Amino acid sequence: MTAIVALARTQSKVFLREPLAVFFGLVFPALILVVIGLVFPGATEPNADLGGRSLVEIYAPVSIVLGLATVALSLLPTTLGGDREKGILRRLSTTPVHPRTLVAAHLVVQLVVVSLATVAAILIGMLAFGVPFPESPGWFLVSYTLGAVALLSVGLLIGAVVPTAASGQAVGMLLYLPLLFFAGVYIPLQVMPESVRTVSSYTPSGAAVQALSASWAGEVPQTSSLLVLAAYGLVFGLLAIWAFRWD
Amino acid sequence: MPVIEVDGLTKSYDDKTVVDDMSFSVEEGEIFAILGPNGAGKTTTVESIAGLRTPDSGRIEVFGFDPLVDRAEVRSRLGVQLQESRFQDRVKVREVVETFASFYREPLDVATLLERLGLGDKADTRYSRLSGGQQQRVSIAVALVGRPQAVILDELTTGLDPQARRESWGLVEELRDSGVTVVLVTHFMEEAERLADRLALIDEGRLVALDTPRGLVDSIGLEQRLRFTTTATIEDTWLTALSDVSGVTRSGDEIVVAGNERMLFSVVSLLADHEIAPDWLQVDQTTLDDAFVAITGRQLESAEEIS
Repeated sequence: MTAIVALARTQSKVFLREPLAVFFGLVFPALILVVIGLVFPGATEPNADLGGRSLVEIYAPVSIVLGLATVALSLLPTTLGGDREKGILRRLSTTPVHPRTLVAAHLVVQLVVVSLATVAAILIGMLAFGVPFPESPGWFLVSYTLGAVALLSVGLLIGAVVPTAASGQAVGMLLYLPLLFFAGVYIPLQVMPESVRTVSSYTPSGAAVQALSASWAGEVPQTSSLLVLAAYGLVFGLLAIWAFRWD
Repeated sequence: MPVIEVDGLTKSYDDKTVVDDMSFSVEEGEIFAILGPNGAGKTTTVESIAGLRTPDSGRIEVFGFDPLVDRAEVRSRLGVQLQESRFQDRVKVREVVETFASFYREPLDVATLLERLGLGDKADTRYSRLSGGQQQRVSIAVALVGRPQAVILDELTTGLDPQARRESWGLVEELRDSGVTVVLVTHFMEEAERLADRLALIDEGRLVALDTPRGLVDSIGLEQRLRFTTTATIEDTWLTALSDVSGVTRSGDEIVVAGNERMLFSVVSLLADHEIAPDWLQVDQTTLDDAFVAITGRQLESAEEIS
């Protein structure tokens, strides 16, 4: 068994033993959709204020970005900070396997986790609230992949430098809460002022919601959204690789 | 050929020289202890050997390879147990060791290794639920699973209770007996005295002595001391007349006799001739700690560490 397979296998077991991580990583996006669908009156009805879409339809891509942000900005920096704090990265440096293999294993596991959460949210939307399957599946996949890369790169940069799990969590939260705002988690983007929406379109979470919403509705996402996501992925990814502290 | 060769190793951080022109070699099959107070540069030395630190100057060879250049060669032959290294709370013992086993070409059988380290019944226990001694043994298992020809054990027993410490000592001796060369880093004099075939005494980044524990103690030529009390009357001159005795002092009821290694026998014979039986008698052993004080003028273990 190669090292990365062994590491990914062990890390997925460790993930499944962490109830909070399982809840926020796997269940949270679908649960948010359920809550919105059940709590708000008329959440499944088309709404003129929301451009003719239902509230659940608006929140479906938002919940997916919420899942991405939770894994990328909470789980990933906390995990990497913990590995550094416990000396696991240093320990790996003394073996024939470079500690970057463990980082890669974390990324693989967490990408699988958040993708399962995404599939769960799509299925709940379809089965419970009449949200259609994404109408441009190809563009949806592109948007999702770029969104995941962008947010995970931001989280990776935090995880690259924080000395402990607690500091990873703290720094992650500092970005998490505003990024949720710009994703339209607290109030939908559609009812935000134009200026806030412009700022939102330059954040990784806001750009991801825009790209996912467009492809869900069968449109081609704006090139600017995809470029913003790609830029975040490239810049933060390279910064993370450059800044990564292995001990 | 020595297993590890360190020649003129020097390393500074922020203008502070942590390791200063250190040279020694570790021979195959021995337990080589690196002993010194905290902050003496022990960890920096072994981390340089393990290829985790880049020396400012000097040459290091492990099995003839440069740890910074031939990384794979060194890492596949050298097992390292780092100071203060832990694992994730929710990972199970077997999972940790099996994961590390997958990094090596011919790893040891994990179940057998855990059994040998007394962790057989803990294989499915989460790391956070182990005692300190058990966690330390997991760390040793990880250092050994790749079938290394040499291992570095850094502060193996720090933080362990006396029982767990003695068990760990047994493990180290078993390792050596199975042919693995052991580099043992410690600030416990007793540990080095008990385990080391040879030891390097380090102070303020410098190698101050390199010898067997016995040789080191003998080399400083400290006198033996015999203390005893008795209700019978003894004249100091009886004792000072003995050629093996170099001095006699009294503190309260206690008579303290200093002399060479034959002094004890001479004094006991003298007492027997006078039909005097001591009420209480003690011989002060010269220890590595005494040797360290004699060489550096300072205590090896601070009062804080002993408590």
